[in-house]
Amino acid sequence: MAQGIIENLITELIKLPGIGRKTAQRLAFFILAMSEEDVKGISRAINEVKEKARFCSECFNIAENEICSICSNSSRDRNKLCVVEEPSNILVIEKSKGFNGLYHVLLGALSPIDGVTPDKLKIEKLIERVKKNEIKEIILATNPNTKGEMTAQYIRELLKPFNVKVTRIAYGLPMGADIEFADEVTMNKALEGRREM
Amino acid sequence: MLHRTEGIVLRTTSFGEADLLVTYLTSDFGVVKSFAKSPRKIKSRFGSSLEPLVQSRISFWGKEDTSLPRLTQSDIIHSFQSIRDTLSYFLKVSEIIELTLHFIPEREANKEVYSLFLNALYNIENNFNKNLAIIHYKIKFLELTGYVPKLDACGRCGRKGYCFYVAHGTILCETCSAGMVSSARLSPGVVKLYKDLLTWDTTKINRIRPSKMLLSELSSIIDMHTHHILTKPLKSSEFILLLSE
Repeated sequence: MAQGIIENLITELIKLPGIGRKTAQRLAFFILAMSEEDVKGISRAINEVKEKARFCSECFNIAENEICSICSNSSRDRNKLCVVEEPSNILVIEKSKGFNGLYHVLLGALSPIDGVTPDKLKIEKLIERVKKNEIKEIILATNPNTKGEMTAQYIRELLKPFNVKVTRIAYGLPMGADIEFADEVTMNKALEGRREM
Repeated sequence: MLHRTEGIVLRTTSFGEADLLVTYLTSDFGVVKSFAKSPRKIKSRFGSSLEPLVQSRISFWGKEDTSLPRLTQSDIIHSFQSIRDTLSYFLKVSEIIELTLHFIPEREANKEVYSLFLNALYNIENNFNKNLAIIHYKIKFLELTGYVPKLDACGRCGRKGYCFYVAHGTILCETCSAGMVSSARLSPGVVKLYKDLLTWDTTKINRIRPSKMLLSELSSIIDMHTHHILTKPLKSSEFILLLSE
């Protein structure tokens, strides 16, 4: 009987990304050894996130309410808008503490071969936001790959008629890396984006 | 078994947390799908070598019959970055990528298609008439794969004709097409351009300057033909149409 419920937990844990059978087995036995209160805490948190999480009606970030905590924060700079592909990108930018403006999540990136057209992303909503609000700068922080670059270029074209500064996040070498191992495209982008010291 | 070859990235699909499925057009193995471990991580050793259109020397490992070998190495030969940097160029190239993916079966070596694709990328990059380079690729590619439409004469009797019948994949003369409804009427200029594109090589084609109207007419015939064969339009063509609206 006990074998059955542990096996069941292992099967469920394998569904998570990056978790193989061995790790799932280790986690299952760790959960078994945890206090009842801690296990209930994890279970409650998982349930809550599924029940309460939704997209913010303004920026399409994950939110508990109609408007997310960033959009409803009055201390944020409302003149700056950072455009990202996925809500998970916001967490990374927030962690950097280098940006205090608002966000707009596209929920994907353009891909002609896969049939991901502009109408499948939240691009129209972005244009609506630019029309309605006093936005002075839009930072295009889509991924530095072909799909992300195409999306950024497409949005830049759409924003041309508006009186708004459009910037793109810098490309180049990651901190802690060695130039010796950089490939030609990354190095070229790093040289193009150099700045005066 | 470890394989080494030269390839061009046609498509990438995210897989798991930071992995990628990379589809290559290779010179020795045709279209090959491979699994690349963690290239989406910032400090990945693959760097930007797995972006679409990058031509590189690759190594992949897997048993002879494995459907998804593991990519172990990728060294850039030519990045074609300037094509990726311009939205309109990349969209045009997306059409030929999609066409290639639809018509070439996996693991069937075709050196001619590889050379044709590579030449088309160089032509597009080197300020050659982009639309002409795309149509030239499509026609030559369809010829190599055995799907080229016959636009120079009636497909049944060989006489002159200007009415294209998409269901037959050919022009039919008045006698042979009695009672049929034509899909499109071709101008003599389009027939001449088609013949030239089919027989000339890139250096000759570099010297001609066909009008936009001729190119668009020939392009729509070729698109109609591929649409009929595939029974659906190319997603990238629909994308381009959507953007032009």
